[in-house]
Amino acid sequence: MSRLNEVFKKLYKIGLVVTFAYFLLFLFYDIHNLDNNRKRYLSAHYISEGVQETGAINLVASVLYDYRAFDTLGEATMILTAATVLAFLVPISKATTFGTTFKSIVKQTVKLILPYLAVLGTYLILFGHVSPGGGFVGGVVLSIIAILLTITYSVEFSEYIVKPDQKKLVEDIGAIGFVLLGLLGVFTGSNFLANGQAYFGTGNAGEVFSAGLIPFINVMIGLKVGAGLAIIFNSLIKEK
Amino acid sequence: MEIAYVAVIILFCLGIYTIITKKNLIKIVFGVTIVESSLILLLMLVGYKPDGTAPILDKEYEIVVDPIPQALALTTVVIGGSVTAVMLVMVIKIHRRYRTLNIDEIRKLRG
Repeated sequence: MSRLNEVFKKLYKIGLVVTFAYFLLFLFYDIHNLDNNRKRYLSAHYISEGVQETGAINLVASVLYDYRAFDTLGEATMILTAATVLAFLVPISKATTFGTTFKSIVKQTVKLILPYLAVLGTYLILFGHVSPGGGFVGGVVLSIIAILLTITYSVEFSEYIVKPDQKKLVEDIGAIGFVLLGLLGVFTGSNFLANGQAYFGTGNAGEVFSAGLIPFINVMIGLKVGAGLAIIFNSLIKEK
Repeated sequence: MEIAYVAVIILFCLGIYTIITKKNLIKIVFGVTIVESSLILLLMLVGYKPDGTAPILDKEYEIVVDPIPQALALTTVVIGGSVTAVMLVMVIKIHRRYRTLNIDEIRKLRG
């Protein structure tokens, strides 16, 4: 009898999910139809005028760091909050090793890869506005350096190379630098985080030093994301 | 194009099913992550245009896909990563306190 009850419960849950899927089918059918009939004025404006207004040929970067930079500030605060919560919840003093030791082949290969990762991350950050990439992706690649050091060697070695206080300092520099770059727009008589409106030298579109503040904001975001993800990973590894 | 929307629905409902049926907390975190990835796929689909190129205008292109959903998808990825990290550290804390990850046993132990 209890078995029958369990089977019924499972069938009930599956039925709920299938009903929900049926509802979503109608919702997405409407979204799909909306797609074909309406013209999107905002995205048409971004595509036709975005390069002249911001100087960045990567339109995703121009949306992220110019038109909607305030959203990006909130998004970056999210990572800062997560890293802070994790560093707060996990005791700093207690560091346990990962347990397994790798052969020297793995260690030498990681040693070989690390400089290339650093170059790739820096390239992705600095060329974020003229090619695919940007601060978030480059920051993730930079944080992989600390994560690889932690996995192949140990938490102690990784924290000996890059100390936790240094990582926190770099993250704070990223966070404060972003806000200061945003205030630059206020000082020049425009809005907070203004770039194209405030005429910060959009330059020739397609060059590295163009697009006003966007490369600098990319650098700040890259520092912040890289340090933040390294702090998050090391905090999760340390807990045992 | 339509089949991709069906894929979004299947992924979303798989995630919801995982959340409401599984007892293990780690599996519930997996479910939340699956729901997030289905929403990212939905954002990509909303911005997609047939035969469109990526929104990087180094030349003159005829059709360019919508850049706004891609920026929002980046936001989703970042926030999803942060939320997953916080959820995982909460799971670790719960396991250290109760020595189990089964939500039924955790409910029996307290309240």
